Amino acid sequence: MEILDKGQGEVRLWDVDEARAWMREKKTRRLVDKVMTEHEAVERFVADGGYLSYDLSSMVRGPMSLEREIVRQRRKDLWIAAKFTLLDTSILVGGGCVSKIDVGFAGLGRPLFRAIEEGRVKTIDWSNGTLALRHKAAAMGVPFLPVRSLAGTDTFRRSGAMVVREPFTGKTITVVPAVFPDVAIIHVNQCDRHGNARVFGPSISPLETAMASKRVIVSTEEIIPTEEIKRRPDLTTIPYFLVDAVVVAPWGGHPGTTPGYYTYDAENLDEFFAARDDAGMKRYLDRYVYGVKSHFEYLELIGIEKLTKLSEMETIREGYRP
Amino acid sequence: MSEKYTDVEFMICQSARIIEDSSTVFVGYGMPQIAMILAQRLYAPSIVQVYEYGAIGPEVATPFRRNMMADARNSYRSYSWTTMNWMMAFAQAGFIDYGVLGAAQIDPFGNVNSTMIGGTYERPGKRFTGSGGANEVASLCWRTILLMNHEKRRFLPRIDFVTSPGYLDGSPLAREKAGLPAGTGPSRVITSLAAFDFGPESHRMRLVAVRKGMTKDRILAEMEFEPEVADRIETIEPPRPEELAMLRDDIDPDRVIIGKGE
Repeated sequence: MEILDKGQGEVRLWDVDEARAWMREKKTRRLVDKVMTEHEAVERFVADGGYLSYDLSSMVRGPMSLEREIVRQRRKDLWIAAKFTLLDTSILVGGGCVSKIDVGFAGLGRPLFRAIEEGRVKTIDWSNGTLALRHKAAAMGVPFLPVRSLAGTDTFRRSGAMVVREPFTGKTITVVPAVFPDVAIIHVNQCDRHGNARVFGPSISPLETAMASKRVIVSTEEIIPTEEIKRRPDLTTIPYFLVDAVVVAPWGGHPGTTPGYYTYDAENLDEFFAARDDAGMKRYLDRYVYGVKSHFEYLELIGIEKLTKLSEMETIREGYRP
Repeated sequence: MSEKYTDVEFMICQSARIIEDSSTVFVGYGMPQIAMILAQRLYAPSIVQVYEYGAIGPEVATPFRRNMMADARNSYRSYSWTTMNWMMAFAQAGFIDYGVLGAAQIDPFGNVNSTMIGGTYERPGKRFTGSGGANEVASLCWRTILLMNHEKRRFLPRIDFVTSPGYLDGSPLAREKAGLPAGTGPSRVITSLAAFDFGPESHRMRLVAVRKGMTKDRILAEMEFEPEVADRIETIEPPRPEELAMLRDDIDPDRVIIGKGE
């Protein structure tokens, strides 16, 4: 294919046959118990300098408990895929964990933007759609996929995409490279001990992200028996052999919502967004991240009364329960 | 009370009136959401709102809450729930009639910036969120409606960063040559003072309507480039009492979006 134009953004490529070999060797097909604490999961599977991807956002079914644990363990130099993100990126950048962001949507809050403006964090701009598509390419085991957005813009110029002559008709088309994250963190509604996971509601790309990633940590609102999975296989979003760790995390998306389970904690979010500078961010992290040892201790800090209230306030349940 | 209204309310009402019923509309966060809820309640009950996070055809529950995107209320009573790659595919395959977006800066050809202003790319003066799904919406929907607060500094001959495509350099078939789908592009720019379409040949913004009480010259004085001007300039009716009542009492009583800039 003739290359007609090329974005300048840095891309980390991985050969699709190496990826296949990894998935063959490192992803056990054995039905083993993968339940562990978030401390153990992050210690084992999130390394300094790695590429991290997550599904959906901190505001909605986001893997907040895992993100807080990554900050708590002071991971450094992560490259993250911000394909649909609100405070995820902020909290990871605020914790000093991030050096590069593939931007779909860089949100949210002043401390994050300041980190970019001061050059402490490098951005590579894409779009939500093309970042999700890059995960899909990896999930399909192909090195790239064509797309009809991005072309002609500075977003293209800053991305790592290319414009090529399409071989079948000779027309111009944009192609985006597969991204194979080192680790994915995905919060789900229900999961069995082996990693068969159910996501209820609309979502970004939970299956593609799990399939694309070398390691997958799933945090779940509830553990359910494998028999329950077998009874309703139509509800399974992620099959177990993609998953490396299962972390039990009720209210794991707090202070965001997990639709059908609990609503946002508006007070806590106000506190988060009140952090206009690094000092404010540090106060928030000191209290809610460094000040507790685990997600369960965090839940104690928020308090069962508040959490129960947030669940009560989530009155729309249709579609989020089997 | 009904004769006083905010700029945001003005833009929302204007957009709500122009969406054809029974069309599919790709909706961005904030003003576009409120505008499409209003459209659905008052003028176009059968529009199908689609969201990048996977909801098709929700009847969004109100009151609107801050950061309401992808949650149970935003996704309420949809026709279908799916995922982002499918949503972008719906637009790419030609199923989505309109996209509705806001932005920080716009140029004469409808290219918009929501990424950064000033400085260099590596050290931007002011960084914003970047594309999100806006690049896909502006690239792939049949017609894009852009919502812009009408301030001089936002209407520029050259914008600092082209996040999402309008008619690019304005030359004939510029979008098609770049690889974007044929026959797409911005169709209307709705501002707090006026409305524009695009010259069919020139692809330049063209003033077609002004807010009641405004003059053409006042509008042009509030832009850093000179748009084309239609032969006949319509007057845009201010928000109607029933629109304001619906916005203030039912859709956004906490004034999360409609109170912006107050």
